[in-house]
Amino acid sequence: MSSRPALEEIREAIGCLEKTHRRFSRTVSIAEQVDCRIPFRGLPRGCIHEVKGTSISSAIAYSAILSARIAGREGNVIYIAPGKPLYPLGLLPYGIQLDRLVMVSVRRPQDLAWAVLEALRCSQVSVVMTLMSGVNLTDSRRLQLAAENSGATGFLLNRADTAPVAAPITRWLISPQVRRSQRFDEPAWKLDLLYCRGGMPRSWTLEWSNRELRALGAPALQKPGLFHTAVVRTTREALAG
Amino acid sequence: MTQLVEWCDRYSPLVAADGEDGIILDITGCTHLFGGEGALLLEVGQRLRRMGVKAQPAIADTWGMAWALARFSKKFLVHGENAVSALASLPVEALRISSEIVFSLRRLGLTTIAMVRNMPRSSLAVRFGPALLRRLDQIFHEAEEPLTPWRPPAPHRASRTLAEPISTTSAVEYVLNDLLQEVCRRLDKDAVGSRHMELACYRVDGTVDRCEVRTSKPTRSRVHLMRLFAERLKALRAVFGFETFVLSVLDVEALLPTQIGFSEAKTAPVNEESSLDALIDRFGMRLGFQEVNRIQICESFLPEYAVKLYPVTGPAAASAEWPAYRIRPVRLFEPPVRIEVSVVIPGGSPVQVFIGGKRHRLVRCEGPERLTPEWWRDKSSYEDVRDYYRVEDEQGLRFWIFLDRSESWFLHGQLP
Repeated sequence: MSSRPALEEIREAIGCLEKTHRRFSRTVSIAEQVDCRIPFRGLPRGCIHEVKGTSISSAIAYSAILSARIAGREGNVIYIAPGKPLYPLGLLPYGIQLDRLVMVSVRRPQDLAWAVLEALRCSQVSVVMTLMSGVNLTDSRRLQLAAENSGATGFLLNRADTAPVAAPITRWLISPQVRRSQRFDEPAWKLDLLYCRGGMPRSWTLEWSNRELRALGAPALQKPGLFHTAVVRTTREALAG
Repeated sequence: MTQLVEWCDRYSPLVAADGEDGIILDITGCTHLFGGEGALLLEVGQRLRRMGVKAQPAIADTWGMAWALARFSKKFLVHGENAVSALASLPVEALRISSEIVFSLRRLGLTTIAMVRNMPRSSLAVRFGPALLRRLDQIFHEAEEPLTPWRPPAPHRASRTLAEPISTTSAVEYVLNDLLQEVCRRLDKDAVGSRHMELACYRVDGTVDRCEVRTSKPTRSRVHLMRLFAERLKALRAVFGFETFVLSVLDVEALLPTQIGFSEAKTAPVNEESSLDALIDRFGMRLGFQEVNRIQICESFLPEYAVKLYPVTGPAAASAEWPAYRIRPVRLFEPPVRIEVSVVIPGGSPVQVFIGGKRHRLVRCEGPERLTPEWWRDKSSYEDVRDYYRVEDEQGLRFWIFLDRSESWFLHGQLP
């Protein structure tokens, strides 16, 4: 196939070593305008993402939309939380399949991290949603490795004013906004990408209407990130051959 | 007494308390495990003595016979013809009959079992009623006497008795692994899986520790069960060490062997360890199965009753349809939070709400959605007619608030 088989061979060997070719390649689309600004061309699966919310219900709804897209019709979604702060009927407009949702309530705080890790290790789980904050680097790496091995995606939700999760793949901040739509099941949010591995922080205005997310307004560049998107793109293309 | 019955469980699965002062064991098919009947008799006697229990064991063909031998005889292990002759000379009390019957038998000069047995049955029945004849038949195996074990016998069981007591968790794990292997092989042969397993650990001092493992689906995977048990073994307290372990499967369900597909890619068998069922079992063992739930939508518009959680382990429940126009919050406050609301005109829609001392000026309001109490339910404090409003403040925060009959406002939920 290739004109330079030796080069191809080396590329493959490196790819196997680094797993880069498949590490963040499975993604799910958020909205067109958002996807094109993320180096992975969408939200990568098999990773942990932190979703902060000025009101926690917005964070829940945003991750519910993405969870529904990742899980599809058959995937299992596990919601782990101390107590029961989720009212499942409220999730119906966001496309989540309630019959595939398993609610786990954790009473003792020390069980929460254990439960999340166990859930992320399970290969039949598509998405793990949980309320968790202040995760240190070691625990965060552990969760990330579990997610990578099993292919499950983890959404760690917390309030904007709580301690962050160390080193997630992406970190979002969702704040509610006054929406144009008259309907209460079609909310609008200000979406801030606070951190993205290999990407830059950005903001969008996001609207949920007709069961789709739409990003409004071309966002201005906030501050230059460490890697420019274009650089990342060329590197990826080069690696992919 | 109960403790002793439990302790005797090691010799046979069929154990029952016999009145106030006895324990009956059905040892059919169990004796070879302990080196024959004589050896078993000796061991039980010695052990009970060492534990400081004054007891006399006896082995015989029937319950009644063993009862009589243990209490009134000098021979404790007899069978067949020998038994009949051994019983013949025993007093009538050995028949397990009431003291009134004993008294009237003695008054008639019938002092031994042989004398009673030689009397014509019809006259015995007339004088003493059916109780005496029943006991007489039972003792000579002419009538059945069913035994009600103190708990139902396990369909599958494996046991290990160790030469030396062990106390470390790793040693217990080793024994358990061995037992599980044996039980799982048997389960596999019968094409069943275990739903409920129990490991009974007998301590040297005669007390018993039990740990149970329940699973959401029938399983016979040794590795999976081992992991579930590991959680429980930590709680074991080996004071002087454990000497005997009995693993019983208390509940089984059919589990047919799965066919391995021809095309590996399509029917790639999910590793049993990382399947959802295994995960749910692990959650259930550590957090309790009541904490792992699925959701059922019920036929009710009241937010407290519209959603029911049912355990994953139970049968699947059918959900009702939910009308899309009834928008519900993502979070529900239970109980609702009392808030202050200002309205322009009495009975009109709210314009300002005060939540936690903070003022929210509302820019949008939808409602009211009136929910009336359902007549078939008990009336509770806030279960009255409620008018729900969905409101949005200047910053875009969305709330679900209601006004009750007494004109007070409550915050019941938060919309995304």
